[in-house]
Amino acid sequence: MDIAYVGEQLIWGKLGNTLLSLAFVGALLGAVAYYLGFKRPDEEKQWKLIARSAFILHGLSIIGIFAVLYYLIFNHRFEYYYVWQHSSTEMPMRYIFASFWEGQEGSFLLWTFWHVVLGAIFLRKGGSWEGPVMVTVCLVQVFLVSMVLGVYVLGHKIGTNPFTLLRNHPDMANLPFVQFPDYLQRIEDGRGLNPLLQNYWMVIHPPVLFLGFASTLIPFAFAMGGMMTKRYREWTTQATPWSFFGVMILGTGILMGGAWAYEALSFGGFWAWDPVENASLVPWMTFVGAAHVMVIHKKNGTTLLSSFILTVLTFILILYSTFLTRSGILGDTSVHSFTDLGMTGQLVIYMAFFTIMAIWLWFRNRHAFVTTEKDDHLYSREFWMFIGMLVLLIAGLQITFTTSIPVINKVFGTKMAPPADVIGHYNAWQIPFAIIICILIGFAQFLKYKSTQAGDFWKRIAVSGIASIVISAVAAYNIQFDRVQYILLLFAGMFALLANLDYAIRFLKGKLDHTGGSVTHIGMALILVGALISNGKQEVISKNLLNVDLGKDFPNDENIMLHQGDTLQMSKYFISYTGKEREGVNVFYNIEYFKPNFEKGTLEPAFTLRPRIQLNPRMGNVAEPSTRHFIDRDIYTHITYADMESLEKPEGAGEYHEAKIDTIQAGDTIATSNSLVAFKFKGISVDVDRKALGLEENDIAVAAKLEIMDVNNKVREFNPLFIIRGQRIFSKETIVEDLGLKIAFINIDPNNGNAIISIAEKKENKREFIIMKAIIFPYINVLWIGCILLIIGSMMAVRKRFRDLRRQKKDQLPA
Amino acid sequence: MKKTHIIAIVVIAILLGVIVSTISDSSTYASFSTAIDNQGDTYHVVGKLNREKDFIYNPAQNANVFGFYLIDNEGKEMKVLYNDTKPQDFEKSEQVVVIGKVVEGEFRVAKGDLLMKCPSKYNGNQGPQGEFVRVPQS
Repeated sequence: MDIAYVGEQLIWGKLGNTLLSLAFVGALLGAVAYYLGFKRPDEEKQWKLIARSAFILHGLSIIGIFAVLYYLIFNHRFEYYYVWQHSSTEMPMRYIFASFWEGQEGSFLLWTFWHVVLGAIFLRKGGSWEGPVMVTVCLVQVFLVSMVLGVYVLGHKIGTNPFTLLRNHPDMANLPFVQFPDYLQRIEDGRGLNPLLQNYWMVIHPPVLFLGFASTLIPFAFAMGGMMTKRYREWTTQATPWSFFGVMILGTGILMGGAWAYEALSFGGFWAWDPVENASLVPWMTFVGAAHVMVIHKKNGTTLLSSFILTVLTFILILYSTFLTRSGILGDTSVHSFTDLGMTGQLVIYMAFFTIMAIWLWFRNRHAFVTTEKDDHLYSREFWMFIGMLVLLIAGLQITFTTSIPVINKVFGTKMAPPADVIGHYNAWQIPFAIIICILIGFAQFLKYKSTQAGDFWKRIAVSGIASIVISAVAAYNIQFDRVQYILLLFAGMFALLANLDYAIRFLKGKLDHTGGSVTHIGMALILVGALISNGKQEVISKNLLNVDLGKDFPNDENIMLHQGDTLQMSKYFISYTGKEREGVNVFYNIEYFKPNFEKGTLEPAFTLRPRIQLNPRMGNVAEPSTRHFIDRDIYTHITYADMESLEKPEGAGEYHEAKIDTIQAGDTIATSNSLVAFKFKGISVDVDRKALGLEENDIAVAAKLEIMDVNNKVREFNPLFIIRGQRIFSKETIVEDLGLKIAFINIDPNNGNAIISIAEKKENKREFIIMKAIIFPYINVLWIGCILLIIGSMMAVRKRFRDLRRQKKDQLPA
Repeated sequence: MKKTHIIAIVVIAILLGVIVSTISDSSTYASFSTAIDNQGDTYHVVGKLNREKDFIYNPAQNANVFGFYLIDNEGKEMKVLYNDTKPQDFEKSEQVVVIGKVVEGEFRVAKGDLLMKCPSKYNGNQGPQGEFVRVPQS
């Protein structure tokens, strides 16, 4: 029986699905028509017209899909599962905007969108390359759109559809509530964007990263088109500026990911060698390789095969990274992969199709790759650039191999687990690679293409060589680097930095147009040096002094326990936890930092950090750090443990342990069991305010003068009373709420005047506490400056490469 | 010998090194019995929490040691000491992967080497299914 559902707007889903079909058909038709266009020169005009129309249809459909999905998200149409799953009415506008790409479907759409934008450029500016490039672009779009189709073909589900209705979604369809005609009114709100991702980086990081992914397509499409149209060499000239463009954008995307991790996630650093991070780093490395060998090819006509292989590899590795992160195969090794939506097979076919296509095109045209058997001169720039690219490739393969352990297990049925010390494993390999790369980017440019006079070369690099040895030796001594690897990387990074600076000033004379490469290389060197110092010399200052030694493999002194109100010394600061505040999904913990003023003997407030714990019902509560930035270091603080239960139900008052009874004489000091407070008994006084206490004429009242000193050395006086009325003895309890103590003066020893005091501590005398960790990252700004220079430098390089290409085109035109 | 050949040999040597080191660095999924038999070797053990027994966590004494009892897939229970603070929401996890070794009758896990799987939070319409979450290192 059909149920007449109330309040649904089904028209939008139908429109969206129509657009999806049009986008799919448009891409398919575009691919075929573009192919026929350059295969049949006599019919080229007609086919091109069809192809262009098809691509425009495809592009407009993708834009239309965006518009529809955004319309649904902005209007909170929760009858659509995707909208319900990723957005909610409570989210601020920027997160509603970002919720679009939280799911797989949205991020695939974002990716296709960038391909449309890049493809549109070729429609206008492609010239004779339009067809050959667009064939591959359209083919890729066919595969990508199929990921969001959500249709069944011969019993197999193709893609997951973003316009699936909530009541039809497999997770919901069998729930009773979707049987109500008015189920939509029963949905209070959408699930919203995962709180963990509610960060401004979520707004900008995915679009940039996916533009980076998309940018690997253009050089690949040029390589494919070059083979198809037998323009075996020309394609590299065309692809070079696009490769540098991709290196810049993809690099920016990856660095943004690192910055996000450092700032908002509590992994305690910038880079954790997580499989998902690696999955986009490796294609970037091969992309850098591809761009550089293309430059070599332009200069001396060699490295054609390397250009082809690296370009293809970059594109395939992007697909592989998509496979790793979206097939669910990383499941138990990664922090932030997508879940399996049952598209593993489709992803494998996608990857296999383009791999086979590239191999097949290479095989058909392998004669074009035959190179002359000449050896590069040892004192030539291209030789060492090529070595550099090989090192990058090997470094990338090393990362890929370890990242792929779950894949290897699946394919070969092995039961390997990733290295126990993942970071150590990667660093052991990647630090030596980084050392070689730094040295190469330092000296290679002092060599000329083809060959250089050895004497000239050594004279030229002597300055930066010697300077970097001196500077890095001094620096290594000052910051007490003791590991040879670190010292070598410090030297290599310093050398890359100084050599490029020297080269830009002395040889390029600071000509902005040509210094893009130098600036990029300086940026890279600074990133490595910054990462090295800030990580290698990071200092955990939250030392736990109450150690239980578990042996050297189990250091247990990195977290500190802090009670509310207490002040503890931590490195050269004193810190105090002053309380927590709840704001929305976040609980902020206020940590005050003080600096001692030795002259005055006081503590002066320095700054306040507010690390938080995000109450996240979907992922579990998440701690987000708070960092104080200084020019030469960052102080990074985050909560590693806090009792979240007491947040909901404040501790019941009145539950006390059995009182401890002490007999004390004047001048004695006693401590409570948890040694938080010390009592000093100063004697007995009969000077009590009888009226205020409502005492009767014959009552005898005695007060014990007790001084209580807490861990802050704060002294307070309390006067618990002891009253005798007739035959009966009363004692009036004094409750010290903030210390969780109940004190009573219960008797006097008549012989010697000693007081008998009972002290009851609150059960588990749990004052609010947190456990936190604080790390100093020295010179981390070097890393950030490096990131900015890397991006600016590569922008300059991209601008120059595109300009070269335009100039070349002009030259080729007959005058 | 030409330079290309030398380079080729070096490249092959490094790649072999990569493969060998990855395999030798990699650890294996195993049960507690294997870990007990090979004391001092590192293993990945997958298991379920024993909810009958209390967690051992006394931050006032040492905030960096968190203990619990884990039953591996063969049904063997062992005390696990995790060398860090108690992970948020640990009690909610159903399946746990620990990477560590047996020392003095306890399975010791260094910080960051604990993975939790919380199906209760992820199943059904709650999104990601059975996703492991690496415990953020403190």
